[in-house]
Amino acid sequence: MHIPDGFLDPVTAGVCYIVMLVFTAYAIYRSRAAFKPEVITLASLLAAAIFAAQMLNWPLPGGTSLHMVGGALAGILLNPWLGELVLFVVLLVQCLVFGDGGITALGANVLNMGIIDVLVGYFLFVLLVKGREAKRPFRLLGAFLGGWLGITLAGVACGLEIGYSPAFPYGISITVPVMGLWHLALGVIEGIITALVVEYLAARAPSLIMSVKLPEVS
Amino acid sequence: MAVRAFFQEHRRALLLIGVLLIISPLFGVIGAELVGYHEPLDVAAEAIGLEEAGIWSGLLPDYTVPGLPEDWAGLSVGYIISGIVGIAIILAIGLAVRALLTKG
Repeated sequence: MHIPDGFLDPVTAGVCYIVMLVFTAYAIYRSRAAFKPEVITLASLLAAAIFAAQMLNWPLPGGTSLHMVGGALAGILLNPWLGELVLFVVLLVQCLVFGDGGITALGANVLNMGIIDVLVGYFLFVLLVKGREAKRPFRLLGAFLGGWLGITLAGVACGLEIGYSPAFPYGISITVPVMGLWHLALGVIEGIITALVVEYLAARAPSLIMSVKLPEVS
Repeated sequence: MAVRAFFQEHRRALLLIGVLLIISPLFGVIGAELVGYHEPLDVAAEAIGLEEAGIWSGLLPDYTVPGLPEDWAGLSVGYIISGIVGIAIILAIGLAVRALLTKG
């Protein structure tokens, strides 16, 4: 879902950059209290793991592939602010070092994968799990829906960004359904992986999940 | 030293990252070759005729190492090296931020 240079109208690219800068600055501000050594270590390891997971493309028969994004997972494990910072670092390194995602499109890529995916994952998980922290089915469902719908909505946003330009605003009638439907279908895998990782940690190291307070393992 | 303690303390997480790295060419190079890597984004861009503009292709463009042979073996090795470089940079950023903030 990494938009390369050349796909975005300059105005869209600029607006997305502003959103990225404002959100990232606010995320740093909101995370001040959380900047403890162990939290930064956890966030760094998560960033490295998400970077590695994004290198695994799931080649699917029929020829359309997708890779893990991990934004929802970051939102669930940390919180929306630290989650965005994790994805921001991943996307920045991918863009600058590997040309994966265009420099002019960094704002849009951070908005989709670092803000929308993270927020959707976080809110769906908290919505389903808060008050039911000990219930496994709710944890699984919350993480699954967060991962699945997070990547789907990120895909829809990506479709809006690449499809819209003042000269040809109708592109979105093509790009939004294409992006939305493909991610709705393939995003199920993201949902399953997110649920498995969250449940693995919930069962073994619940303190690593910061978005809700899970019960300690007895 | 902090870096060494870091590796010892987080052996399992780093092991997982290492395993992902080692199997990554199966998905990112060989699998992509077999089925033809094509993301939904490519499908959408093609449908409305968007074209990439090469502004900056990176130091290791598309996870390849310039100079390595462009067969599956060379590409796979380049993919793993790219992964190691990316992970090293990300962990270095994290450790630098940690050192900066904990010194106060």
